[in-house]
Amino acid sequence: MIADLRARARALIFRRRWQRELDEELHFHLEQDVAARIAAGAEPAAARREALAAFGGIERWREATLDASGVRPLHDLAADLRFTLRGLGRNPAFALTAVLVLALAIGAATAVFSVVHTVLLSDLPYPHADRLVQVYQQNSPTNQWTLSVVDIQAIAEQQRSFEAFGAVRPGVAGLAGGGEPEQVPVAWVTAGFLSALGTTPATGRLIEPGDERPDAPPVVVVTARLAADRLGGLRSAVGRALLLDGVSHTVVGVLPPGLDELAGIRAAAWPVLRTATPARRGPFGLRGVGRLRPQLTLAAAGRDLAGISRRIYPLWRAGFRDSLARLTPYPLRESIVGSATQQLRLFAGAVLLVLLGALANVATLLLVRASARGHELAVRATLGASRLRVARLVLTEGLVLTALGTLAGIGLAALALRLVGLIAPDLPRAHEIVLDARSVAVAVALGAASGLLVSLSPVMAVLGGRLVALRPEGRRSGGTRWTGLVRGVLVAAEVALAIPLLLAAALLANSLLRLQRVDPGYDAGSSLTVWLAPPPARYPDTTAVRTFWRRAVAVAVETPGVVAAGLATSAPPDNQGEVNNFNLTAHPVPEGGAEPTSPWSAVSPGFFPALGIPLHEGRLFTDADSAGAPPVAVVSRSWAARYFPGESVIGQQMVEGGCYECPRTTIVGMVGDVKYQGLGRDGEGVYTPLMQSESRRAALFVRTSAAPAGFTGPVLRHLRALDPDLPLSARLMKDELRRALADPTRWTAVLSAFGAAALALSSLGIFGLVSYLVRRQRREIGVRLALGAEPRAILRMVLARGMRYVLAGTVVGLVLTAVSGRWLGSLLFEVGPNDPLTIGGVTATLLLAALAACLVPGLQAGRIRPVEAMAEE
Amino acid sequence: MATPADLLPGTLELLVLKALSLEPMHGWGIGQRIDQLSRDVFRVQQGSLYPALQRMLRKGWIRSDWRPSEHGRRARYYALTARGRRQLEAETAVWRRTAAAVDGILRVRLADL
Repeated sequence: MIADLRARARALIFRRRWQRELDEELHFHLEQDVAARIAAGAEPAAARREALAAFGGIERWREATLDASGVRPLHDLAADLRFTLRGLGRNPAFALTAVLVLALAIGAATAVFSVVHTVLLSDLPYPHADRLVQVYQQNSPTNQWTLSVVDIQAIAEQQRSFEAFGAVRPGVAGLAGGGEPEQVPVAWVTAGFLSALGTTPATGRLIEPGDERPDAPPVVVVTARLAADRLGGLRSAVGRALLLDGVSHTVVGVLPPGLDELAGIRAAAWPVLRTATPARRGPFGLRGVGRLRPQLTLAAAGRDLAGISRRIYPLWRAGFRDSLARLTPYPLRESIVGSATQQLRLFAGAVLLVLLGALANVATLLLVRASARGHELAVRATLGASRLRVARLVLTEGLVLTALGTLAGIGLAALALRLVGLIAPDLPRAHEIVLDARSVAVAVALGAASGLLVSLSPVMAVLGGRLVALRPEGRRSGGTRWTGLVRGVLVAAEVALAIPLLLAAALLANSLLRLQRVDPGYDAGSSLTVWLAPPPARYPDTTAVRTFWRRAVAVAVETPGVVAAGLATSAPPDNQGEVNNFNLTAHPVPEGGAEPTSPWSAVSPGFFPALGIPLHEGRLFTDADSAGAPPVAVVSRSWAARYFPGESVIGQQMVEGGCYECPRTTIVGMVGDVKYQGLGRDGEGVYTPLMQSESRRAALFVRTSAAPAGFTGPVLRHLRALDPDLPLSARLMKDELRRALADPTRWTAVLSAFGAAALALSSLGIFGLVSYLVRRQRREIGVRLALGAEPRAILRMVLARGMRYVLAGTVVGLVLTAVSGRWLGSLLFEVGPNDPLTIGGVTATLLLAALAACLVPGLQAGRIRPVEAMAEE
Repeated sequence: MATPADLLPGTLELLVLKALSLEPMHGWGIGQRIDQLSRDVFRVQQGSLYPALQRMLRKGWIRSDWRPSEHGRRARYYALTARGRRQLEAETAVWRRTAAAVDGILRVRLADL
């Protein structure tokens, strides 16, 4: 066995030496024999003849020995590979084009597979991740929201479904200590949250239940990156102090390096979440995460939680009258990944279409090449190579090209995965995406399948003997009617695949244009914004905070060139602030029903002029709307239109936040709509006076007389003079608005690139096809011209033959698009997926491009000289 | 002199093993030795030795190395391995039993039955 392998390996690895030695051995044998015969008295010539006869044909026994060496198939393969590589080397343009197209297609498909597999399909990176759930409040299948302290405490006390359960509240905090003060994303967590996820620290410990007691010293767990940036690394971080919103927290532990996202929340620091004894059911805003007991189903946990909802409802009915709301568990994966699913599917679909289009293109290239080499291959066939052997050569060529393409594609995929952050910065689980063994395996499988697919038509052509036409015109053009038909079908396929891509790109571009024309409801060009969060340590109570708000607005307005300044707890275009429930006195919700909700911002009087939001009716807030004054509200125009259609909204009253004991809130004004929830959403909103709110975080908006970029320095200087320890950074509202359009812009760009690639590929395919048809029918065209046909008639004929396949492909593509349904769905804005204008435009563009591609060979056909064409025999 | 007979299938390898059991030899030498041992009864087509040698190498019965031949020119010499020696013994035993059995059959007369 071992001797066998050794002998075979020798024959294979030292192939040249092995063959040389065999030749040497056989020659030695013959010469030895001749010498012996001469010594025995034979004539030299006769001796040689006799020796050869006794041996019995050198070539025959040489081949037999090669067969006996057991590496024949591998030898043949090596010979095929050498032949293929030599052939490709003689035609580097062809080889490079094919490999490049394949590399791009396979690379893109592999990268997309890695992303889709990691984000959508693979388990979350926690032990037994299938048992992790997030709990929501839900009063209908489509309306979910977060939990309150009441819910968290009730679940912790009463639940029988979870091994561990905890809460997390993501947010932003001013961070100081070990470097410049700055605003960083943080998430306040309970001990149960971290133990439910099964998190382990790199050093130190995690948050423990004892840390949640109100009298325990505040502690925080930080990411390895924060430890490295501010605390001198993993080792020295534990025991140090960090100021979070001005409160000193002791660092008790550091997360493992690379881990900066837990349960879909990205944060630099994870301080302990302490819950005070609640006075009412709300406010909400906490996320509950739990680990189910082994073997327990989601439905069973749902029944357990629903029981808890029913038990706590009567206790807090005074402030929360939604009897339908139930605590409902959802798989954690769903709540993390949910929003990305549709975009990823669209992306994966687009890449698949590009891949198929690229394969059709390379298949055409190979078929053309096989046809062009028809004579060479035919010569090989007459020299004794069987059709099978020639087919094997063609197949080897296809496989070699795809193997090279796959190798390059894997490299491209690795590169592309590093750029995922640029294409989709908000993609959940992005840090988990790597090019792993599974992705490489998929790339190899894709490559193998692609190799077989692109080789299919040329191999069939060889096996069917359809490569070389017997008729002279075929011989000249290198092809037959059959290869022409196959090329036509491939072109039709390319066109069919390009249509959905072009359509998607056009629909997204159309949406983007409409989004850009949306009036955001405020003047973005001449204002800047700074987030302010006076820390509790230095501003311990509401009075101190409100004094700070007044002073901040005052110093901002005093800055030369500032026209107006105001504060708000929300910030357009995509931060809607809080959401609150309300009950209108004029149109109350039935007892036990769900109250309506709306985006809810607390604003200072200067907010509306600072952003240029117009007053339509009633009045804005004044300094008189202070803490002791009766509660008032200003509403947006579309809010008024929805809740008081055909009525005046001024003077209407409502119960705010389920507080039926509190005085009613009176609506005093109606202002223009502001797009808080993204430009594609509606502009409903309610404003209340900041001085009547407890909020500790607000954005300062400053409107300037000239371009606001020049005023960030002076404004920040004034604010620092007020409090030098505040973390401050200014942003231009113009940039914020552009950022809101970044996502649709990126998607439009990506799909437009795909669409353009598909259009270019199919135009090239059409051009190649028509040129080929003209070459093949050169004689026929010559005869027609000689018989007096107009060049225009010839052009018409050529166009008709080429466009036949284009039209067929277009119809198939449109049907494909129609049956694939509402694949763009919520990515579109004010445009339906079947928008007839867009479909018409895309079809027209594609047909025009195809016509242009047919035109050049068509015009050339009209200029064929009949005499030459007919003389070419 | 009788016409040389064709070799029975499978016997070529046995003859090569026997020839190599006497002394290590190159291909031509093996052919000569077989002619000599069989007193020209068997005529081996000499080229057929080489595929056979290749198969026997792969079975590990023989090994080969290049050394100077009697006239100084380099030649590939084959030698029996331990496994080849065992193979020769086993095949010899089988051959003897078979030959004896066939011989016995050929001697039978009706009267003996």
